[in-house]
Amino acid sequence: MADEQVTLTIDDQTVSVPKGTKVVDAAKTVGIDIPVFCYHEKLGPLGCCRMCLVEVEKMPKLMTACTMDVGPDMVVKTTTPKVEKAQKGVLEFTLLNHPLDCPVCDKGGECPLQDNTFKYGPGDTRMEFHRAENLKMGPLSPVITLDRERCIACQRCTRYSEVIEQDSALVMHNRGFNNEVGTFNNESYDTRFSGNVIDICPVGALTNSQFRFKARTWDLTNSDTLCAHCGCNCNMTLGTRTNQFMRIQARPNDLVDDGWICDKARWGYDFLESSNRLKEARTLPDGGTMLFSSPTTQDAAVRTAEAIRNIVAEHGPESVGFIGSPYGTNEELYLYQKLFRSGFGTNNIDHKVYADSPGLPIDHYDVSDIETSDLVLAIASDPTEELPILDLRIKKAVTRHGVRLAVLNDQATLMDKYAALSLHYDIGADGKVFSALTAAISGEGKADVKNTGIKADQLKSLVEMLRAGKKITIVYNPAALTGKSIHGLNQLLAMIKNIPSVECGAIPAAPQTNAVGAMDMGILPDYYPGGLPVLDSESIKQQWGENAPTEPGLSALEMIERAASGKLKALLVYRANPVVDFPGGKKVEEALRKLELLVVHDMFETETAKLAHIVLPSNGPGYDDGTTTNIGGRVQFRKGGLKTTNPPDWKIISLMANALNEEGDRVNYITSFSVTDEIAKKVPGYGEISKRSIKKEGATREPPANNNGSGFEAMDSPSPNADALKLRIANYLFAHDKILDASSQLAHQFQPSIVHLNKKDAKKLKLKDDDDVVVVSGDVEIAAQVEISDRCNPGGVVLPNISDEQGVWGLANDRDGVTWVEIRKV
Amino acid sequence: MTQILFHNINKKNLHTLEVYEKEGGYKGLKKAFAKEPGEIVEMVKASGLRGRGGAGFPTGLKWSFLAKDVFPRYLCCNADESEPGTCKDRELLQKNPHLLLEGMILCSYACKIETGYIYLRGEFYDLCEIMEGAIEEAYAKGYLGQNILGSGFNLDIHTHLGAGAYICGEESALLNSLEGGRGEPRMKPPFPAVQGLYEKPTVINNVETLCVVPFIVNNGPEKHAALGTEKSKGTKLVSVSGHVKKPGNYEIELGTPVREIIYDLAGGIRDDNQLKAYIPGGSSVPMVTADLVDTPYDYESLQAIGTMLGSGALIVIDDTVNIVETALRLTSFYMHESCGKCTPCREGTRWMWQLLQQIHTGKGQPEFVEKLEDICDNMSFKCFCPLGDAAVAPVISSIQKFRADYDELIAKLKADTAV
Amino acid sequence: MFAFSKEAEEKIEKILKKYPEERKRSALLPLLTLVQRQERHVNPDAMREIGRRLDLSPAYVQSVCSFYTMYSSKPVGKYLILFCVNISCQLNGCDVLLAHTAKKLNIEIGGTTNDMKFSLHREECLAACSGGPMMRINDTFYENLTAAKIDQILDSLD
Ligand SMILES: Cc1cc2nc3c(=O)[nH]c(=O)nc-3n(C[C@H](O)[C@H](O)[C@H](O)COP(=O)(O)O)c2cc1C
Ligand code: SF4
Ligand code: FES
Repeated sequence: MADEQVTLTIDDQTVSVPKGTKVVDAAKTVGIDIPVFCYHEKLGPLGCCRMCLVEVEKMPKLMTACTMDVGPDMVVKTTTPKVEKAQKGVLEFTLLNHPLDCPVCDKGGECPLQDNTFKYGPGDTRMEFHRAENLKMGPLSPVITLDRERCIACQRCTRYSEVIEQDSALVMHNRGFNNEVGTFNNESYDTRFSGNVIDICPVGALTNSQFRFKARTWDLTNSDTLCAHCGCNCNMTLGTRTNQFMRIQARPNDLVDDGWICDKARWGYDFLESSNRLKEARTLPDGGTMLFSSPTTQDAAVRTAEAIRNIVAEHGPESVGFIGSPYGTNEELYLYQKLFRSGFGTNNIDHKVYADSPGLPIDHYDVSDIETSDLVLAIASDPTEELPILDLRIKKAVTRHGVRLAVLNDQATLMDKYAALSLHYDIGADGKVFSALTAAISGEGKADVKNTGIKADQLKSLVEMLRAGKKITIVYNPAALTGKSIHGLNQLLAMIKNIPSVECGAIPAAPQTNAVGAMDMGILPDYYPGGLPVLDSESIKQQWGENAPTEPGLSALEMIERAASGKLKALLVYRANPVVDFPGGKKVEEALRKLELLVVHDMFETETAKLAHIVLPSNGPGYDDGTTTNIGGRVQFRKGGLKTTNPPDWKIISLMANALNEEGDRVNYITSFSVTDEIAKKVPGYGEISKRSIKKEGATREPPANNNGSGFEAMDSPSPNADALKLRIANYLFAHDKILDASSQLAHQFQPSIVHLNKKDAKKLKLKDDDDVVVVSGDVEIAAQVEISDRCNPGGVVLPNISDEQGVWGLANDRDGVTWVEIRKV
Repeated sequence: MTQILFHNINKKNLHTLEVYEKEGGYKGLKKAFAKEPGEIVEMVKASGLRGRGGAGFPTGLKWSFLAKDVFPRYLCCNADESEPGTCKDRELLQKNPHLLLEGMILCSYACKIETGYIYLRGEFYDLCEIMEGAIEEAYAKGYLGQNILGSGFNLDIHTHLGAGAYICGEESALLNSLEGGRGEPRMKPPFPAVQGLYEKPTVINNVETLCVVPFIVNNGPEKHAALGTEKSKGTKLVSVSGHVKKPGNYEIELGTPVREIIYDLAGGIRDDNQLKAYIPGGSSVPMVTADLVDTPYDYESLQAIGTMLGSGALIVIDDTVNIVETALRLTSFYMHESCGKCTPCREGTRWMWQLLQQIHTGKGQPEFVEKLEDICDNMSFKCFCPLGDAAVAPVISSIQKFRADYDELIAKLKADTAV
Repeated sequence: MFAFSKEAEEKIEKILKKYPEERKRSALLPLLTLVQRQERHVNPDAMREIGRRLDLSPAYVQSVCSFYTMYSSKPVGKYLILFCVNISCQLNGCDVLLAHTAKKLNIEIGGTTNDMKFSLHREECLAACSGGPMMRINDTFYENLTAAKIDQILDSLD
């Protein structure tokens, strides 16, 4: 059915398109432009602006090409005198009360109204009255400006709010000539995706307040790049002028973002010019050993390599380590692991504080698979806060493609509203739930749901849904699983695959930009790039040479432990901030202080950088080129847009490598793509990745094989005392951190520290909404306000990470299980 | 003249079930239930009944268009009556609510519908209460609800009030309104018969249309087909208003000359003035000049003289009126009632109103008239729904037929300023 | 804060039964009507409350509410006079009578008397064309108006 082709004639050209295509889109396929205002392919037809009128043979009236499905043997004419008169007429109506303020309008130069008028419009207006005057510019939100005079009531923005965001926050008010775009009671329109209305508004009614009056659109240099905030890797355009950041716009790539970006993408790039940026290399001014003074970055890189080499020489390779970042590009991460493995001979390499391993026991699905599935199972994932564009994709699948959603989580999320089945397990019970599910599906062993917070019949319903599925996509957030339950999940995935008639795949949806890439690039203590286990010494020696280390290295948290005990001497931290983001808080800081050498290579003056003996500045996104791999396994190119005199990271890392190498072995990369080419050669799965192959839409890499062992067993973690509650740290999209600092455009989205309690526990602890409390674990106390919601089951609390200052990770003290906290009233 | 709707309309307490039954009410149900639903549809087809809401679409044919085998299906009775000049449905609802219910039950049985809504304009709050009273009586008597009269057929009927919007009389806007939305019309296709209320197959009929159905079922389609003309069969309620001595709703046989309606039924022109113009089918149809007063009142004859039967509202205008005033008043109405969804209607109605107001207040320029004509041309058949075309009708017909009235006002201005 | 009266709550129960459970949005107009009749206008608090009950965003409720003329954002008088000014009534002299009424009440058309007793609105056709000139006061239609008749009607209302 879907493939059925329809052949018709448009302006004497024969067009063949799938059934159900609108005439306007059919015309586009042969280069015939039918002007539109209200039509937008992602929103579907509305037919309200009447700009797209065409003549269709055998039809008495002109027809709107945007609402009309193609029909066999249809004959469409788009340029007859009748059509031209209608187009002029419609444009005249459209412009009737539209101010002619193009010279001061931000949309100028990229305005469909301007363009259509130029091409099809009357040269002049016959309007003899005062144009309707409406409220001139006003804020629709702190970041969007609304000019009601310019609005042509095409309803694109309000339909976007209804159909895409699905929360009808932006609506049409009043009727007839008085209709206008607005919010409830003139409240601010500040959803997580509000900015897209700017891109789709066909006139200058909705504009980006940040960009207002800053530049003319035609003076901008636009770089096609990717967003660097989360694992969705949405495509966007970075507009600059005279090497200054101007604005971000969406750059549709259906396979990745479906044409949208979230507000963090659009307004979360103030960090490019943040005052908190590290601009130059430095050494610890006093206290520590002064290694060298006022170095250049190049200088500092060479000195760093030499210093680490000296420590390796003295204490052995196991005394040095690397903590990388899931935010780095594939090139950066690849080079760093190579430096530490080949250069320093150690596998002390990691990028995360949770348990995970490369590869999946089932297919790695791309995000577009979500729409073609019939069931999506979301596990421990909160896309709205973690991977916003994934949220839109799931909502679309559910509401427009009839996909069923099942949710398995330890906290309530906005996804529950869309779920056909929503199961909330007790915090920390994930492993047990996975085991129970595995048992229930296989029919082997007992499906034991005791102490999970899930009832047996709920589990049964889920199993039935899974069994009835044809194509199942499983979306899970490995970073939100506790202990080693990821291995239990892997067993579960393998078991789902075993259900006859089920085709399934998974999307490992860790929030960080390049979490998948970091795994693929082997930023792991026990795997080389491409999921090659360290224990496979034969293959490793073949690939990486005789001297390549084959002993498993230390995980990130183990490195911190070893630093505390004085066994780890040198650590290079790349774009990570363990002091704030690692469990342990103060303990992490104390451990780092014990190091003989702490090198921090970062974009910002972080809490960790402040402790470093050597600081290397990283340019990061917006400046440096590189590739990243999104949650769907799609590799894309992230181009820089701004220039800086500081060398890109890949160059800094190769400088370090060359400092260790003999003359003849030195590497000489010309661009980031030279590194990409090496990745293609050296990293299994990346063989097809090249500048060319990823140019348009990116390309999916072959996922690494799954090397997970079996034998996972879930364990209870006992409560230390009667009033203790299990802690779940949740993500908040607009957290006030180094990226969204105090001067951020999105500062209005910052939230106070709130601890979510279950009614039952609140009653027991005699707490009410808005009570000021501290959340306590050991000697760490985090101030928060109580919100009594049923965000998690009794016995647990959810504490969203809302700022670096709040320091929630200081509470976490047990990397293998669950953190117990107490709530004390202040 | 044969009356099938109004023969007993002024009977005391006709609105009660008791009197309605005494008058032979609800007899149609037993007859209908003895037949297959499809047979009823065929009867209505054979009767030649056409929709009385405005478009005149054959009712039986409309019922037969319902998407096959898709259930549930819905019936929406259009009791929005808001076409200026029209006041016939109100009289039916007020005085004979059970007739409508009987018609709705028959239609539902014929179309295998189990839920019906009566969409009443919000200003009909009192009628809604009357209707609800009748519905309650019908439930109590087993004419509504489960297993009606032991037939195995179930039907629920509910009232639903609008809240002030002419456009909600348009069937797809009505559906949006009934679904709790803004009364903006919907794209067609899909037509309501395929995807109507709640995206399910839906029959939408006017009050008067449904009220005719019991007659057809009781007396056979031939009896109905025998009334009226060759193509316009049956009778029609005509709301006569304006400059007549006896304004009111009159049931006529289709094909009755307009002259007879105005001069015999409605008593002629008030103060014995001269007839200047009449609008035969509500404000949305073109007005015509007095010389066409002998036109038979039926769908084809009125179409032949460039106008339409519409909702059956005959608005009579005498020679004391400058027609610009009429055009202005109606344009003001359409401007007020345009939903604003589509550009030509939203902008065009306002622009026309601005121009007409200028002319009317003596500030018109001679070229305004041509401009008005061109605006009408740019709106005609280019708007999203027929409201836009309706808005054009009074303006364009008044210019074409009473140009002198425009010129007079514009010339007067010139004369005034010359002094 | 807004709360439905007890009678209104009873009506709501009935109203919700008219529509399929998953289509309870259909109850939006009826609920707004209840508010309008209870409060003589619809305020944002009420919209929020309706949105909560019907699972609609408050913005959506307001969007729908503002489309229909029978909902007002400011309270109307105890007696709301809707005076038809459309074609049939106009032909029979409604303009003069409307002006007369405004003068009698000493308010502008569209206004409300200071004691909140009367509001006077211009109205489009109310389907009483053959009885024009006509007006609707709250739920009652008054047809074939004359100045004397209007005076008498208004005087009889307390
Ligand atoms: C702007 C507009 C207003 C309308 N108003 C009404 C109305 O008030 N009552 C009505 O029955 N039909 C009205 N209609 C016609 C309906 O759309 C629809 O055709 C009718 O209800 C079908 O019923 P019928 O086939 O029984 O006539 C209107 C149509 C338009 C375009
Ligand atoms: S603001 Fe822009 S997008 Fe929204 S309705 Fe107006 S013109 Fe359309
Ligand atoms: S683009 Fe077709 S009506 Fe707007």
